[in-house]
Amino acid sequence: MRKRVISFVVLSVALLIVLVELFPIMVVIVNGFKRDIDIWSKNPFYFKPTLRSYQLIFRHREFPRSLRNSFVVASLSALVSVSLGSMAAYGLSRFNFKFNDALIFILLMVRMIPQISLAVPFYMIFRSIGLNDNVLGLSLAHISFNLPYVVALLLPFFSSIPKEYEEAAKVDGCKTFQIFLKIFFPLASAGIVVAAVFAFLMSWNEFIYALVLTGTRAKTAPIVVNAFMGQYAPLWGQLSAAGTIMLLPVFAVTLSLQRYIIRGLSAGGIKG
Amino acid sequence: MRKWLVCLAIFLTLTLMAATVRVLLWDDALTQALREGLPEFEKKTGIKVELELVPSATLLQKTLISVTAERSDYDLIAVDEPNIPLVAPLLLSFAQWPETKFYTRPSMADIMPLALEAGQWKGEFKGLPVNANVYIWLTRKDIIEKYKDEFKKEYGYEMRVPKTLQELLDMAKFLSKKGIYGWAPFTKPTEGATCEAIWMFESFGTKVLQVTDKGYNVVLDKQKAIEAINFYKELLKYAPPGALDYGHAERVAAFSRGEVFSMFNWPALVPDIENPEKSLVAGNVVYTEPPAGPVKTAAVRGCWIVAIPLAAKEKTAAAEFAYWWMSVETGRKLIPKGLTPARESLLRDPVYSKERPWFLGIYQSMQYAIERPRFERYPEVSQVIRNNWLDAVSGRVSPEVAVDRMVEEINAVLKKYGY
Amino acid sequence: MFVLPALIVVGVILAYPVIYALVISFTDRELLYLGKTNFIGLKHYREMLLDRNFWHSLRLQFGVITIAIPIELIIGLFVAILFNRDFPFSKILRSLLMLPVFVLPVLSGLTWRLMLQPSYGVLASFFNFISLGPTAWLADTRYAYVAILLQDIWRMWPFMFMIIYAGLSSMPSEYVEAARIDGANFFQRFWYVLLPYLKPVIATAFLLRMIDALRIFSEVYVMTYGGPSNATMLLSLYIHKQAFEFGRLSYAASVAVFLLIVALFISYFVVKRGLRGEVE
Repeated sequence: MRKRVISFVVLSVALLIVLVELFPIMVVIVNGFKRDIDIWSKNPFYFKPTLRSYQLIFRHREFPRSLRNSFVVASLSALVSVSLGSMAAYGLSRFNFKFNDALIFILLMVRMIPQISLAVPFYMIFRSIGLNDNVLGLSLAHISFNLPYVVALLLPFFSSIPKEYEEAAKVDGCKTFQIFLKIFFPLASAGIVVAAVFAFLMSWNEFIYALVLTGTRAKTAPIVVNAFMGQYAPLWGQLSAAGTIMLLPVFAVTLSLQRYIIRGLSAGGIKG
Repeated sequence: MRKWLVCLAIFLTLTLMAATVRVLLWDDALTQALREGLPEFEKKTGIKVELELVPSATLLQKTLISVTAERSDYDLIAVDEPNIPLVAPLLLSFAQWPETKFYTRPSMADIMPLALEAGQWKGEFKGLPVNANVYIWLTRKDIIEKYKDEFKKEYGYEMRVPKTLQELLDMAKFLSKKGIYGWAPFTKPTEGATCEAIWMFESFGTKVLQVTDKGYNVVLDKQKAIEAINFYKELLKYAPPGALDYGHAERVAAFSRGEVFSMFNWPALVPDIENPEKSLVAGNVVYTEPPAGPVKTAAVRGCWIVAIPLAAKEKTAAAEFAYWWMSVETGRKLIPKGLTPARESLLRDPVYSKERPWFLGIYQSMQYAIERPRFERYPEVSQVIRNNWLDAVSGRVSPEVAVDRMVEEINAVLKKYGY
Repeated sequence: MFVLPALIVVGVILAYPVIYALVISFTDRELLYLGKTNFIGLKHYREMLLDRNFWHSLRLQFGVITIAIPIELIIGLFVAILFNRDFPFSKILRSLLMLPVFVLPVLSGLTWRLMLQPSYGVLASFFNFISLGPTAWLADTRYAYVAILLQDIWRMWPFMFMIIYAGLSSMPSEYVEAARIDGANFFQRFWYVLLPYLKPVIATAFLLRMIDALRIFSEVYVMTYGGPSNATMLLSLYIHKQAFEFGRLSYAASVAVFLLIVALFISYFVVKRGLRGEVE
């Protein structure tokens, strides 16, 4: 009995915490179903649901394209980072190079470079080679933080795979690359999924590089979302609708992959 | 079959010959209206137009990303007035714009004279002024109507569109008892706050920076500057809550909610205020020049010019496009779609003034236009002005200290760059 | 062979820009460079150290570390302890708690800005109702900074929670049981058993968040744009402003290099810790 009561109390407290914590997200979702003018001319709790803001953003001149750009940049940078990163993590965990430890150390360290520090040189380099305002250029910039992250995340995954697998494969006559592809890649698949998902999300949410490195063509969705607060009457409704759409992958990932995420985060976070 | 081939050949040559002109402009109602007119222009000239619109706050940065002395992604770019000195070295001077086939150079006499001046740097036109962008003053006529008599009883004169800042203050005091805010400032730490400072300083009779052939001098008159700051602080008492964090979005929202009696705005934001879908005060606004200060009436000007970069590939096509934009016919066609013209003949045309009362407001305001300091390092000077101004009007430091600091810091900027 | 492609890419897109920034920081190159670039030595670094705005911005950025992160840590720790037991729906609630961590910083900043609007923001109405702070938080130099920290705390305490929770759930239950049998009360158990066990986890989480704190930019950029006045002009915004508003790329590069060194200094400890953890 006492146990039941405690668990009920804990549940209510936890529920309260979650509700408070998710309040701002609910604000975004609810506001997406309001008209712009209703948000700033009525009290916050006035709610007459309408799809007007959604209609407007899909007819918006830039939002659909920027959403596509975001998707392309995020996928591209995640793909490249994961393929190169998993190979590197495999190599670093399996073979003993002379500078192995130093390499690992450097890779782990550069993961933490603040973006703003690189934004200025990126801007100058890209300008001189014409990569500014280019989807490819922005993807490159995103790879610069995603790749070291992926390596850091995957290193423990690969190191935890027992040596015997490798030896067994060698006996079967597999070449090194085949070993990687056929044995290690599947074995570390959980980690690789997490890495891909995280890389995608980090790139999807990224703002500084997009702000500095893109003009009109390669503009990504976070920039357009911010532009709804431009020099006009505030378009809170459209901003929230666009924001809600941007949140969809976030919801999908956190809710469906949660088992992986906890594992991935604690692996990448604690050991990294 | 042969006929088809000929057609195809003609079509192909036409497409191959057709120039594509890439244009980079700021994004507002005006430039969006321009987009609507593109098919007509493309049909007549065979020039394809790629029009890119970016928010005005990021336009300079985007310009400098894509335009250098050697290479330019755009053939025609818009430059905001205070940035002209900075960008000038990259631009083809207006006198050297190429000959055009379809459209002719607009008559300069018809362009608002003060707008024309905006395009000048070191005695040379750097481009074509394309809009008459200037502070216009918005006042709610329904509020005047409602409280006219009551106000007269108290203050001895009739409530009207404020002619002077003192009148504005009187009305603001009066209206505060009615739950209406008399006025709204611009206080976000962006260019808009610098404009407010310059506006008040000029209204009270002082400039910040004097630009002469010999060089740059800080000429801020301490006494007048302090008066201006104190007056602004007084006005702030009658501004909406949160007025110390007011940017475009907040101001438009407050005004469109119907909370504010009288304030300035840029013409580009007016269509939103007159749009019933976005505003509760549409149809109730009078547009004039700003109220006069003790020394003069001042309306901050922020005209845009369009210019051809030295490195542009399609200079002729760019000129065609600019001339088309400025032609009277284009103006007539696109005004209903939201274009704000820079030509006097269109601004004053009675055909438009009924439905677009702000056109006359722009015309009137333009008579009192003042400019911000012209200077290659303007962005840094602007930052100094705005920070100290905001510190003073928000009461974080005393007006005396703020003015002293402003002078000292501008001098430091001048010194840093060896002026 | 496996490491090489990644190394090349890292070299091109990380090492090269860093070196580029370093080199540029010794020159006078600007956004609009026309003439030739001159070598000016340490002049920019000197200017940086003499600029009181720089120190102000640095303090603000570090304020996030000294104020926001400890609060996040405390909330995260207690919620993790709360969640470290079986109760209905605990799994789904736990994953819901993670949502804010992944919300785009821009959207978070904008939403907080909306909620703090004096005449129509929910949070502003609430704060007014309980008479907390001024009517317009973002218009007040002190409260605007508080708002930014609040935003960060809101978004990131669940990160602390997750990591601590993961550490807690791997803790053998005998530890606590043993203490309980010994008659230790909650606080004693917390102080003598839980905390020592979690110490390495907390330290790592703290260090990771420190690095994060040096990166904060977009939330603040959209929430206050550094204002009012310079009250929320974090170092990252200062760099951005110098580079892209004033066009002083090379000066901005100097400050960027400085920030980079600080970040690398901290990450040195993070990585060292992480590697040691692995060895153990």
